[in-house]
Amino acid sequence: MPVADLLVGGILLGGVYALMACGLNLIFGVMRVINFAHGDILAIAALSTVSIAVGFKLPFWVAVLVVPIGCAAFGALIHVLILRRIEGAPMIMSLLATYALSTILVNVAILIWGGGYSGLPGVLSGSLRILGINVSLSRLVSFVCAIGVSLAVWWVLEFTRFGRAVRSVSAAPELASISGIAIERVRLATFALGTAMAGFAGVLVAPAFAIDPQLGSRFIIKAFAVIIVGGMGSYPGALLAALVLGVIEVVGSYLAGAVIGSAFLFLLMLAVLLVRPRGLLGAGVRV
Amino acid sequence: MKGINPLAVAGVTAIVALALAFVGSDYAISFSIQLLIFLVLAYSWNWIGGYAGYSHFGQVGFFGIGAYVGSLLNFHLGVPWYLAAIVAAFAGAATAIPLGGAMLRLKGPFFAIGMFGLSRVLEAFALGFDSVTGGGTGIYLKPISDLRPLYLVVAAVALIMLLLTWKLDNSRLGLKLLAIREDESAAEALGIPTTRLKIGTFIASAIAPAAMGSLYAAYLGFIDPPTAFAPNIELTTIAMVLLGGMGTVLGPLCGALVLSIVNEVLWANYPQIYLACVGVIILLAVLFMPRGIVNLGAKNGWFAIGRPLFRQLAARQGQAAS
Repeated sequence: MPVADLLVGGILLGGVYALMACGLNLIFGVMRVINFAHGDILAIAALSTVSIAVGFKLPFWVAVLVVPIGCAAFGALIHVLILRRIEGAPMIMSLLATYALSTILVNVAILIWGGGYSGLPGVLSGSLRILGINVSLSRLVSFVCAIGVSLAVWWVLEFTRFGRAVRSVSAAPELASISGIAIERVRLATFALGTAMAGFAGVLVAPAFAIDPQLGSRFIIKAFAVIIVGGMGSYPGALLAALVLGVIEVVGSYLAGAVIGSAFLFLLMLAVLLVRPRGLLGAGVRV
Repeated sequence: MKGINPLAVAGVTAIVALALAFVGSDYAISFSIQLLIFLVLAYSWNWIGGYAGYSHFGQVGFFGIGAYVGSLLNFHLGVPWYLAAIVAAFAGAATAIPLGGAMLRLKGPFFAIGMFGLSRVLEAFALGFDSVTGGGTGIYLKPISDLRPLYLVVAAVALIMLLLTWKLDNSRLGLKLLAIREDESAAEALGIPTTRLKIGTFIASAIAPAAMGSLYAAYLGFIDPPTAFAPNIELTTIAMVLLGGMGTVLGPLCGALVLSIVNEVLWANYPQIYLACVGVIILLAVLFMPRGIVNLGAKNGWFAIGRPLFRQLAARQGQAAS
């Protein structure tokens, strides 16, 4: 069993999960909304990237710039049109709303791009040989970028004024509001940031994986597993759990086939939910 | 006054359903079977989702389990469809008991995520264990020549679900579930055994969907993982309950009638945008009508005949904040 290859493959896979799960976690932390459409935003971002690079024949970096900004705008729109209107409603309403949104996005993606697979074989192809292990260049680049952006957002959350506002809204919205924080604006910005992170993850997924409109539903389950295992609302927990789950998925798929391999993730998630619902590094989130 | 009107509705429904069995065309019967299957799913979902207020995105998992249990019995052992459906119902309950014990210790969003993932994983298993389930090829069953008995069975189950919901709505149990929905900690503080009630509701709401899965497979004469665990079954069910009115006796009936007709038109004319349309309906219902048609109608006095009934319903139910 090629331990080193699997380990590296798993960690590289985990990078994208980390970026996606961190966005999901951020949104949940601040808004108490589980965004079921998060994976579908990623899928649409990936498909748009392919369209930009292959369809319009523009360079890849155009997609890197345009797609996350587009996703942020889309996220802001969703927040204004839907989520802000049901803020005081029971949680089941926001769950139903994002679940419905996810279906709409999948359907629209199928209408636009068709149901088949596409990819970006021309971008970042080839592989590097590091310490005797073949590493696909596209996966390496996407890992580095994903972890880089995740850490950058973490830095923003920990060390800037905006980040402090976000954390205080997350911890105690009423107190934040009394302290003069415009919580509506913070929520809007957070949701836009979260969807932009999903969008950027989509851009990174495009050259490294086969993409189709159903990609979102496969990724979202893994992102759920990551934030549950890492602890809901815990940023470092999500980063760590993403890498661990990436390795588990790759090793599991190698040992037992792809179907059972991704089921491992889910079983781990169930185990964590039952034994320690707050997750490995979670502080315990009020819901 | 109490309860007379739901019984009247049930009676009228039963008479119409029975009459249809004798005079209905094959198309009408076929359409009604689909409608009634969804009606049963909607009533089941209404118990856990509407009354107890738990967003359950995994009901289609039990539907799929039932579909496979029933189809495999029918295919390998030649068990007739009605017996297979009964076994499937037991299989649904048998799966729900340990699962409920595990999942219902989780609250709100954790439960939603867990059940959502579970139904997708079950689909993956159905695809992966192709030696048992036939994988993506699916299982072809011997088609049923006359759909009328199947129709009558489904109609009877739907009627039972309606009556059970009416019983529940007029019982202390129903009030306890509503208390869980409105404020679980407060309910617990009042001495309501919330976890036990939630697990019970969860199991009860898994039985009928499993039976319906088996009957649906018999009706189609075919089953494969994407059909058995179809997300659009889940979505349509939830949309029906939400549209009609969550946690009401007649909400699922209203929602199922309206949405089935909408679905039929959409499937016939625009099958490619079906899912998006159902999604938009859910979104609009969440945004503008979270208490559903039943409560909206009661508020605006649409139902002059059934007014006392609807007033009674509206006084008791509906989302806390809308």
